[in-house]
Amino acid sequence: MSGDRGARRSGGERILVAAPYPPMRDGIGAYAVQQVQALRRDGHHVEVVSPTPSAAHHHGDLRGPAGAAALARFGAHFDRVVLHFHPDLLYRLPPTAGARLATGLSYGLAFRRLGRVELRLHEIDHRWADRSDPTSRATSFMLRGADRIGVHSEEQRAHLVDGFGVAARRVELVDHGADFAPRTTADRTRARASLGLPDDEHVFLCIGFLQPHKGFDRAARAVGALRGGRARLDIVGSARVADQATLDHVAELRAIARREPAVHLHTGFVSDEMFDRWIVACDTVLLPYRHIWSSSVAERAALFGRPVIATRVGGLAHQLADHPGAVLVDDNDGLVRAVAHAVVGAPAAGGAAATWPVGLAEGDETLVGVDRERIQAEIRARATAARGGVAVAPTGAGGTDAPPLSTPVRRLSPLHPPAPVSARPGVSIVKRLIHRVIGWELTPISEQVNRLQRATADALDQAQRANGGTGAGAAVTGEVPRGPD
Amino acid sequence: MDARRIALVPPRYGPDVVGGAEAVIRRVGHGLAERGWDVEVLTTCARDHFTWANVEQPGESIDPTPNGATVAVRRFPVVRDTDGHIRARVEAELAAGEQPSLADQEAWMGDGPRVPELFHHLLDRSDTYRAVIASPYMFWTTFAAAAVAPERTLLRPCLHDEPYARMELFEPLLTGAAGVWLQTDPELELYRRISTPPAQTAVVGEGVDVPDGYDPKRFRAEHDLGDRPFVLYGGRREGAKGWEGLLHGFCDAVGKEDLDLTLVTFGVGEVQPPADQTDRVVDLGPVDDRTRDDAMAAALAYLQPSSLESFSRTVMEAWLAGTPVIANGASDVVAWHIGRAGAGLTYDDPAELEQALRFVAEAPDAAAALAAPGRAYVLDHYRWPVILDRMEATLDEWFGR
Repeated sequence: MSGDRGARRSGGERILVAAPYPPMRDGIGAYAVQQVQALRRDGHHVEVVSPTPSAAHHHGDLRGPAGAAALARFGAHFDRVVLHFHPDLLYRLPPTAGARLATGLSYGLAFRRLGRVELRLHEIDHRWADRSDPTSRATSFMLRGADRIGVHSEEQRAHLVDGFGVAARRVELVDHGADFAPRTTADRTRARASLGLPDDEHVFLCIGFLQPHKGFDRAARAVGALRGGRARLDIVGSARVADQATLDHVAELRAIARREPAVHLHTGFVSDEMFDRWIVACDTVLLPYRHIWSSSVAERAALFGRPVIATRVGGLAHQLADHPGAVLVDDNDGLVRAVAHAVVGAPAAGGAAATWPVGLAEGDETLVGVDRERIQAEIRARATAARGGVAVAPTGAGGTDAPPLSTPVRRLSPLHPPAPVSARPGVSIVKRLIHRVIGWELTPISEQVNRLQRATADALDQAQRANGGTGAGAAVTGEVPRGPD
Repeated sequence: MDARRIALVPPRYGPDVVGGAEAVIRRVGHGLAERGWDVEVLTTCARDHFTWANVEQPGESIDPTPNGATVAVRRFPVVRDTDGHIRARVEAELAAGEQPSLADQEAWMGDGPRVPELFHHLLDRSDTYRAVIASPYMFWTTFAAAAVAPERTLLRPCLHDEPYARMELFEPLLTGAAGVWLQTDPELELYRRISTPPAQTAVVGEGVDVPDGYDPKRFRAEHDLGDRPFVLYGGRREGAKGWEGLLHGFCDAVGKEDLDLTLVTFGVGEVQPPADQTDRVVDLGPVDDRTRDDAMAAALAYLQPSSLESFSRTVMEAWLAGTPVIANGASDVVAWHIGRAGAGLTYDDPAELEQALRFVAEAPDAAAALAAPGRAYVLDHYRWPVILDRMEATLDEWFGR
């Protein structure tokens, strides 16, 4: 191979990178391509294998024992294999005990067959290190088979060494943003002008794929609690996966944006350039994640010197340790205070409580009044927003005690087929097989049932609203709703 | 970085490639090279956009321009190692008016021809070009080029009002390119309807070469057409171009009305007229530029059945030859041209097509007179020197001198 000779002649290595890869948008893929670019510029011969067809030189399913065999086959002709480790890449989901056992052992063997293996660890479930779980040995066997494991935080390093028994000398802290390059040349003024943002408001930004675990809804409520300050939150991103949970989450964000004047939702797939332009345009990046291992958004914020407010989850604390102006919060209360502090330079009174319609004394957190009905209405409104439905107007005095007419319908759990998993070895495979065989027929039915449930509930809410909220409320006051005689 | 070095990224390139967008990219490359730009074409080894077979040799070659300049061409092999099932399913969903999930859209893009070596060439070398001009929007080459170096990507999308253009997948491409060249005002309006054009967006138009002269008699003699009155269609004979609708509409019209008309067609793609109408349809296959121009001059009218035109170069070529155009009114762009030039007719259904054909068959002199303002319209707006001036100005303004 000419590339082989060329790389060896120039002193470079032959390196295989295994990762998701462009032109599809993917956080790990964006990371990988910049690493590939840097390695090629250093004179190495680099080829890429990706799990789906892409700009990579090779592609193949890397999940499970067959994936391990494929990687061993691809990597046989390379001096070094760099694997971007994420459970989605290596395991069939959900990763059952059997899958963890088989995948761990087969990848452990594959790593030992290959020349030199480096893992760039993006995420792993630390519960898999539980010594009482027999599969932990397989996972440990796999990880210990790598010559080097790059992690982004001290916590991750400790988990690998203490939890999985990986030799400390093999685990290396890697700067998450080491290979990152800016994608925009716009300055703050130009960026704001191009995005239609006011120049004199504090702009908070949540950006990335819209997923429930990102917690953008928490950020929206925190900024909404500022109540009229010269601040706004822009939520920018798209839903990559069209599952019901994601669709519900997007509907919730949309509903919040309708309710909160300071919250602006921009749904759509953004380019790398526009992604960076949003970061340049903002004053503070919010990372209100409910769980995450590490954040590429944090690195891009650092690249442009934008401060970050983040929840203390996963490896964020370590990742942000050297990030100037980074603020870590533990909960919604802390998030509200940090957001207010970023705008006015002082902690806000009330914290998360201020997101609710409760009366607080000026300058402190003393409750001076609680309007139960308004809180009840707020609960309903938020629940409605979370469902993406139409808000039902409060039913007035005496009426708010009664739940909306739609409540019994909404209380029905959505219909989902049981997850094809089992603690008994081998049963998960059988269940998955059955699921695959009948899924094409059952899934549309269950989806339709759930759609009917939501439509029925929404219809009841709309009918109640059209009647001036005289549905359930009227029943409480003794006026029985009557149909046509 | 050489201050005047640019890359052009078309999915296919060369004199044997059929396709309006590809032909224009080649002409742009030649024009800019003749004005002193260091032009490198990064493209595939394919000629045919159905098979994507690697026909040309990979590696570097030179494409000389008529005036002695050179365009460097670097070809990369197409990889097509997927079964196409996802692509077919997603296209069926689009055709049914559904919007596939983003994940399915991504799978659609991956389940077709890909050119990893071109991607990695740009990954290594994009900063050696002042601008990377990619076209048209829907191909993997354009999508990948813009993903590597959006900050220096100049997109020439050739947008059509079609379901693909509304795929969320293309939003980063449409919003994130450093600059955009468009051909017409309707294309800009469409862009605004489906996305947000970048700040650096310009309607630069498209150039058309003006032939030195026409010899319709030679064309008739060479193709044994005698005095047969004919209408003409040239280009890709495929569904996306409205070919099948035109063929059936024409055959129905001439069969029913017994119109004394023949349909002459050139280009690529199969021509399969109904068995009882084979003598009314003449397929010339691919032709050279001179034959094309002479055919335009010899025809009673040029037919443009496509509803998905972003410029319609053949309409300009017909008008330069003094031939009227009968076009599908569903194409905003062609209807816009016809409205501005006043040199053609549009039809919205087979019945209207039939009547338009009747008009040119029964009143050929009036049809020729109808075409009169077309040539001046093209000369005023779409000559290459004017277009290249606009392109150079935007390159200098957007990407620095």
